[in-house]
Amino acid sequence: MGQLLTRQTQHVGIIIAVAAALAAAAATGACRSEPPPASTAPVATRSGAPAVPRGGTLVASIRTEPRSFNRLVGRDSSTELVSSLTQAKLVRINKMTQEVEPWLAESWTRSPDGLRYTLKLRSGVVFSDGQPLTSADVVFAFDAVYDEKAGSSLADSLQAGGKRLNVVAADPQTVVITFPAPFAAGLRLLDNLPILPRHKLDAALKAGTFANAWGLSTPPSEIVGLGPFVLTEYLPGQHLILNRNPRYFRKAADGTDLPYLDRITIEIIPDQNAETLRLEAGQIDMMTSEIAPEAYAPIKRAADQGRVRLFDLGVALNPDSLWFNLKPGAFGADPRAAWLQRDELRRAVSLAVDRKAFADTVFLGAGVPVYGPITEANRTWYWAGIPQPSADLDGAKQVLATIGLSDRDGDGMLEDGNGRPARFTLLTQKGRPSVERGSNVIRDELKKIGLVVDVVTLDATALIERIGTVNYEAIYFNALMSDTDPALNPDFWFSRGSAHFWNMAQKAPATDWERRIDELMTRQIASLDEAERKRLFDEVQKIFAEYLPAIYFVAPRVYVAASSRVTNLTPAVSRPQLLWSPDTVAVTP
Amino acid sequence: MTSGPAEAGHYILGHYILRYILRRLAFAVFLVFAVSSVSLVLAWSAPGDYPTESLGIGARPETIEQTRERLGLNRPLGEQYRDWLARAARLDFGRSLLYDRPVGDLIPERAVNTAVLALTALLAATLVGLPLGVFTGSRRGGVPAGAIRGASLVLLSMPPLLTSLLLVFVAARTGWLPIGGMRSPGAPAGGITIDLLQHLIVPSLALALPLAAMFERLAAQAMAEVVGQPFVLAALARGVPRRRVVWRDALKAGLRPVAAVYGLVVGTLLGGSFAVEIITAWPGLGSLMLAALQARDVYLVVGCAGAGSIFLAFGTLLSDAALALVDPRVSE
Repeated sequence: MGQLLTRQTQHVGIIIAVAAALAAAAATGACRSEPPPASTAPVATRSGAPAVPRGGTLVASIRTEPRSFNRLVGRDSSTELVSSLTQAKLVRINKMTQEVEPWLAESWTRSPDGLRYTLKLRSGVVFSDGQPLTSADVVFAFDAVYDEKAGSSLADSLQAGGKRLNVVAADPQTVVITFPAPFAAGLRLLDNLPILPRHKLDAALKAGTFANAWGLSTPPSEIVGLGPFVLTEYLPGQHLILNRNPRYFRKAADGTDLPYLDRITIEIIPDQNAETLRLEAGQIDMMTSEIAPEAYAPIKRAADQGRVRLFDLGVALNPDSLWFNLKPGAFGADPRAAWLQRDELRRAVSLAVDRKAFADTVFLGAGVPVYGPITEANRTWYWAGIPQPSADLDGAKQVLATIGLSDRDGDGMLEDGNGRPARFTLLTQKGRPSVERGSNVIRDELKKIGLVVDVVTLDATALIERIGTVNYEAIYFNALMSDTDPALNPDFWFSRGSAHFWNMAQKAPATDWERRIDELMTRQIASLDEAERKRLFDEVQKIFAEYLPAIYFVAPRVYVAASSRVTNLTPAVSRPQLLWSPDTVAVTP
Repeated sequence: MTSGPAEAGHYILGHYILRYILRRLAFAVFLVFAVSSVSLVLAWSAPGDYPTESLGIGARPETIEQTRERLGLNRPLGEQYRDWLARAARLDFGRSLLYDRPVGDLIPERAVNTAVLALTALLAATLVGLPLGVFTGSRRGGVPAGAIRGASLVLLSMPPLLTSLLLVFVAARTGWLPIGGMRSPGAPAGGITIDLLQHLIVPSLALALPLAAMFERLAAQAMAEVVGQPFVLAALARGVPRRRVVWRDALKAGLRPVAAVYGLVVGTLLGGSFAVEIITAWPGLGSLMLAALQARDVYLVVGCAGAGSIFLAFGTLLSDAALALVDPRVSE
């Protein structure tokens, strides 16, 4: 499912779920009757490596406060971060290996028809308040996420083929999960769900108040979890302090308790410039998001001086994109409907934009041209055969001429058959430099082929509202996939999906090519043959590249930085790049 | 014993001032009511709402509608306004959707933080700006006075956003001061501590520098006028030392324009500074208001706007009262 990147100032705004992971792994994990061993191996515990330092405090930063301490309710990146520190899931997607790993579930088997999974919980696991984890907690977590009154933002992501999973506690240590239909991604989707303490939240669920449970006014001592840290202090607008959970279940390869850190302090720093300066000055150890292009130079200088470590994580998973409103009848009697919704317009736009110049202007050179929603960062599902046409202004003009747009009055700009100027409004998000700059580049590039683009910036909420009410002509924005496996992003690919932005929630596919994508994705999601899944998804990408419902130009390179005292890091391309495995991060005294 | 003409005069003057202050007080109450009401309507009318923003792009329409219903945001504006008014009359200003806490609890917490910052900045600006203004205003030329005037003009032309960034940059480069936040993690959460004072330096300077420059300019201009007046020249002619004439006699008259804006400055500062609070991560009313606006947290927006208007009304009242005391003609 797509989600919105609102940088609050980046933002402000906010929001995003991110994901990572790959598909080969999903497949491998799903087909095994026994799972791979959990990664418990911090680098430094390997033979010959120095011991990982224990203790100490790590200071990280976020730009916006969490919306809730209940991950089932809040879907912003800060809530997700706090949840990843304080809660645990049945399985985890290792963002380095991109494989599904046992986590609270230490093993599982799959029925021959691929529909039923029997998961065995680790024994001896207890919540941070000492209560034991049982299968009843797992069933409770699913009950809560599917509860209508709770209105959980995770409910949609825990469905297969639009239907819920059936979860039963076979005994206190065994859970049986039955999928409503064959689902290739299998247990991979459980990475979305933290297992919450039934003994703490059952009353709220029964009372119909779960949506308000564990709000920000909840005393930290009430927030109980299975994660490596426990929330001990929250000062609104200032910071969160999380202390080591002494009852955490994971141990390092050498048998010592995890996590290594005694404490994580998360400072709330709304301004990106101040955040960068504080990292440079050593007042924080890391930011929990990537470095903005404009902050790269000072961070690089600090890295050259040995004050911070800079990581180049490669191409981003989710590039920004431009899409036109393709909902039939969206423009009413506006005569521009004759060309605004034509495939040829989108092809011409894609041809007209010089992606190299785009990367240089928008990402200060740190970007690579892309031609579809799946970038090469998604190693399993990226289709290397995607057409990559060079910028061609004359070609773009010829394409536009086929839909009646040509320069009829010799002023260098295009007009339609009735002499009306070829002009449209492009909405984008205010306060996010990359999309603001990107929109301006698109405007300038399209001017070269005679299209007039009026760029209008709106704050994130207003923009989402315009998308939701289908009140726009074109939008340049970022909608993130919540996982690298396409089976977990049905809302984006299917015409019925709520993240099928160009024409959302269709009752029946509006075009033949969308119908074809629906068919291919239905088979892709159900197939348990990984090679077949890849072939089908390549076909989907081919159709997408031909009809361009969303046009992609450049994906930035992802850079993150941490102070040089932070060790045992395993940076991954998706957020939170440096803290996705918080129990193995350490700091030198 | 009968009251003489002087006492009667004092009584009439006091009566006028009291009536004047009561009139201003009534206006302040109206101002707070009007600002709160208008901000409620504006926040409600702005595109998007809390469920749209919090559920984000791609959320199902039925989920958004369900959330609106749960939070009572799907009711007509008139009904919501009526409810809010009824509750506000009982000093219940609603619950923040963003923080899941009563607005009436959140605002005072943040207002105290803003007040600490504002009053520190005001004190620093007053202690620096006024004496410098007297100094430059009482001298026609000279390098020091020229340098101060130049510095003031530079500081006045710099928006607080830029001043904040510059100070944060200096603090980061030197490492002498904490760059952001109000207290270090683990430091006591209340009271005046060394840690708090250290954190105060950057944001209060960011606020104080342009203010000090403004006070300097106002005081200097007033002093320049006053030192040419007959009573000052007469005092000097009688052999009273210049320093004494300037700092004792002329100063009182020179303070009048500063007093006129002082209350307004107090009110504005107490309302919170978006730029300074955001850049220095100071948890005050300004940053709270921004977060509320971004999240479309209607009742919190109203609460912040209402608090800001209370402070502004208080500042205006303070200014008016001070001027009325100094110059009774104002109250007429």
